[in-house]
Amino acid sequence: MTIAPPRTTAPSSGPRYAQPPDPPPEASRSLRERLLRRRSDDPSTNRAVVVLRDVTKAYPGGNVALRDVDLVVPEGDFVFLVGPSGAGKSTIIKLLIRDELATRGEVYVDGHDLARLPRRQVPRIRRRIGIVFQDYKLLPRKSVFENVAFALEVTGTPRRRIRPAVERVIALVGLGAQADQLPSTLSGGEQQRTAIARALVHDPRVIIADEPTGNLDPLISWEIIQLLLRINELGVTVLMATHDAEVVTALRKRVVALEEGRVVRDETGGAYHRQD
Amino acid sequence: MIGFLAFSLRRAGQGLMRNGLMTVAATATMALMLLLLSGFWVIRSGLAAGLEFVEQKVEIVADLRDDASPVEVTALRERVATFPEVAAVGYVSKDEALSRFREYLASQGEEDLTQYLGDNPLRASLEVTLRDPRDFAPVIEKLRAEPAVESAKDIGSLVDRVLTVTEVLRTAGVVVLIIVGIIVLFIVVNTIRLAVVARAEEIDVMRLVGASDAFIRWPFVFEGAFIGLLGAALALGALALAADPLGRFMFDFFRLLPLQLGTLARDVTVLVLATGVGLGVLGSWISVRTYLIK
Repeated sequence: MTIAPPRTTAPSSGPRYAQPPDPPPEASRSLRERLLRRRSDDPSTNRAVVVLRDVTKAYPGGNVALRDVDLVVPEGDFVFLVGPSGAGKSTIIKLLIRDELATRGEVYVDGHDLARLPRRQVPRIRRRIGIVFQDYKLLPRKSVFENVAFALEVTGTPRRRIRPAVERVIALVGLGAQADQLPSTLSGGEQQRTAIARALVHDPRVIIADEPTGNLDPLISWEIIQLLLRINELGVTVLMATHDAEVVTALRKRVVALEEGRVVRDETGGAYHRQD
Repeated sequence: MIGFLAFSLRRAGQGLMRNGLMTVAATATMALMLLLLSGFWVIRSGLAAGLEFVEQKVEIVADLRDDASPVEVTALRERVATFPEVAAVGYVSKDEALSRFREYLASQGEEDLTQYLGDNPLRASLEVTLRDPRDFAPVIEKLRAEPAVESAKDIGSLVDRVLTVTEVLRTAGVVVLIIVGIIVLFIVVNTIRLAVVARAEEIDVMRLVGASDAFIRWPFVFEGAFIGLLGAALALGALALAADPLGRFMFDFFRLLPLQLGTLARDVTVLVLATGVGLGVLGSWISVRTYLIK
């Protein structure tokens, strides 16, 4: 099986992500990208969907989960977040959805400084992030359709807008035929597709996937990765935490490696393990 | 706003139906706790009425001079009745005093000694009931100043003893009620917390997809209110069924006491409904708060 990496960003060389990258020439961007970019008014949000600047997160009790982490994820990027358990991947995700606040440093999502974001605005930021977990987090008594629709219902979307939006994302993940089934009757891959559909239904700027293939066998894992790549091709930034060395190495995407709360490697086109 | 309310109510209904066992458990707990609370409320009301009755038994007896004219006595009676501290004034004539004394002797199984008397030695008297027994001193003073009054006994030590007992019992009643109230509070809030925690997964999903705090909280608050209302209705139903036999007993028991059964029934209804809904809402509010944005 071969994976064709999608061409959504200009080819680049070397670790250029320590600072927000210079914008590539206008001509080298896809039309879709330019349209997406035009949506935002604030120039500082244009290129980076996620920015962590010098972020340290210490939990009460002295456990320091992140130390001086710098991470800039430009719009349309596909980033693997790798590292052993406890390296800080989950903490980064918690900071991005503002479940936790950074002890020091700044966290920006879609141009918003999360430390200064009023509490009332937090749900709106979370709607710009689609999040996918290893254990799917589907509600067992709701069908595929209802699980996806739930994300819109609980955010106050008018009912007439729900059905078309849900049908669109369910078709996108290829579950049109299973829409009325309960999660328990689906395979693991189908359940994860449902979760991805739910993450997409708000039209997020970024999909954060926390070990999305952790419970799946290799073949199904590849299908899920293919789906994430397709979503990325549609202009949605993807940040995926994973242990799956095979996938990371094969795709040659940007790899950010964490160890004991520090970024120890950040390279474009990297493998799962350091290749010196 | 209408959409939000409709959403919250619909979600609350779904929550109650889909978690039937939890709903039943929480409602049953709520009903039993409200019964317990209202039971203690009724007992405390009875106790308070009984104590008030005992306190009203404390009266000042002013013996009248034998030579006071009926006109004088009537005028005195009317004047005493206008004292602000005085609740009622009764008049006991010499004959009445004698017959009371005879009854007393008979009830004690003693020989009627009055037959050996030539003349009635007992005095006519005024029996003055006070609004508050603590105000005895000025009333005694004013009575003693009256020319028609022979003497008025100082009832200070009696008042002290009676009031000490009634105060202790009254405080004890309130303390027990408060303790029962706190127990009910904790049990009900914890039961509702269990019902909320059982759905932590659902709340988690709501949070992650960007539901606002109001969208997460209000369905649970409505559920809590509904459980409170249902529990209150069950408790009141049980009380209504028990009211007839219980009421007859209470009527016999409290007939002499200044207890208003109509008022008590109204108080208990208000108490049960307000506590039920209040605790339901409070329990949900507190339990959901853990899951909201920090």
